[in-house]
Amino acid sequence: MRQARHRVLALGLALVVAALAATDAGARSTATPPLTIYAAASLTEVFKALDPVQNYSFAGSNALETQIRNGAPADIFASAAPLNTQRLFKVGMVDKPVTFTANRLALIVPKSNPAGIKSIYDLRSKPVKLVVAGPAVPVGGYTLTVLKKMGLSGVLSKVVSRESDVKAVTGKVALGQADAGFVYVTDARPVSDQVTVVKIPAWAQPRVRYEIAVVSKSPNKTAAQAWINALLSAKGQTALKNAGFLPVPKTST
Amino acid sequence: MSAAVPDRHGLGIDRPVRRRTLLLATVSGLVVAGLGARSAEAATDDELAYANFGLAAAYLAADYYAHALEADKLGADARRTLRSGRAASRSQARALSDLITGAGDTPAASEDFAFEWPAKAFDTAAATRATGLDVLRPTLGAYQSAVAAVSESSYRVLYASLVASLGQQVGALVGSVGERVETFPPALDLERASDALEGYLG
Repeated sequence: MRQARHRVLALGLALVVAALAATDAGARSTATPPLTIYAAASLTEVFKALDPVQNYSFAGSNALETQIRNGAPADIFASAAPLNTQRLFKVGMVDKPVTFTANRLALIVPKSNPAGIKSIYDLRSKPVKLVVAGPAVPVGGYTLTVLKKMGLSGVLSKVVSRESDVKAVTGKVALGQADAGFVYVTDARPVSDQVTVVKIPAWAQPRVRYEIAVVSKSPNKTAAQAWINALLSAKGQTALKNAGFLPVPKTST
Repeated sequence: MSAAVPDRHGLGIDRPVRRRTLLLATVSGLVVAGLGARSAEAATDDELAYANFGLAAAYLAADYYAHALEADKLGADARRTLRSGRAASRSQARALSDLITGAGDTPAASEDFAFEWPAKAFDTAAATRATGLDVLRPTLGAYQSAVAAVSESSYRVLYASLVASLGQQVGALVGSVGERVETFPPALDLERASDALEGYLG
């Protein structure tokens, strides 16, 4: 009787151990390491909200391009301008990039609006402290395009600071350290209680396209491609749209 | 030129005038196209600003004519006028696009815009005409400013051609309204012309 009870107990323990071992093995086989995603600063909020478990590095696309060129261990590169991804693609450092979203530029002013800016044309006539991103940063290049299209390049003489990415521009205006700054419309949203958006006319908008690619030396290329596919899916595109990004025009795909 | 009287389709343009309008609109479109390619390199930022605005306005006008043709509220005879207007708008877009390209910039494409039309913009003949005037008059006003503002003579001729072409298009629509309306609107600076079209350009 006692022997039989011991056999049952041993069998039960063996089953529990086996079950635990199986669970552990299952967990190990399904858990993938987080991807390292280098992304344009303007994608900060939407990428974190879409998938908070990955490792992100957000900065100006030009800086990220340089880091990848120098061997930074990224799995994915998402750029705010095709130029940065295409340059890496040409030297074989990323797989073929795809366009995944679009954006627009806006002028933001602090809520207090000390310079009294109501139109982008006011930049020409009023004394303002203007902050922009550097010309190598995508949003900085797009800013130059807007000003040139509108015949307002002269207002660049009022620039007091050139920042390394769009979040730095947004921050300076939100904190009242500048009277106005050029950012993406999606960057104005998270600080809408601190800034007012001054619309830039549609005819003066630059063609802002975001591209994404798997980094060629990534050890996680399958997972990286799956992540990009998810971003391109209806769910991913909806998340981008809800954050204020624009769908990709058909001519850009 | 004989006085405009409402024809059986209600467009209000007598046939000789309409034929002349069609011919002139087409010709001015071709003149604009030729000038655009020739004078590109002399562009200054200010002169290009009018071209960038005008390009968007030309795409918008072409879209207007396409919608007006689709809605078909102005009658069969008016279709020729609308088609002519659409052709002139496309011709202007090509000329301005060439000019911007020649100046080393990237011109906008019509796909870059998501034009927005009010819900009842093409519901009736009157609404269709009013919408057209709302779109064409600010553009004409801006080109009048451009003629006065630019220093380069070839540009002045280009913008004068655009004034002529837009004037013909506005004239065709104004004549069709059957009311006394100022054909040539006052010159508008770029800011006010841009504000006037912003709702349509998206």
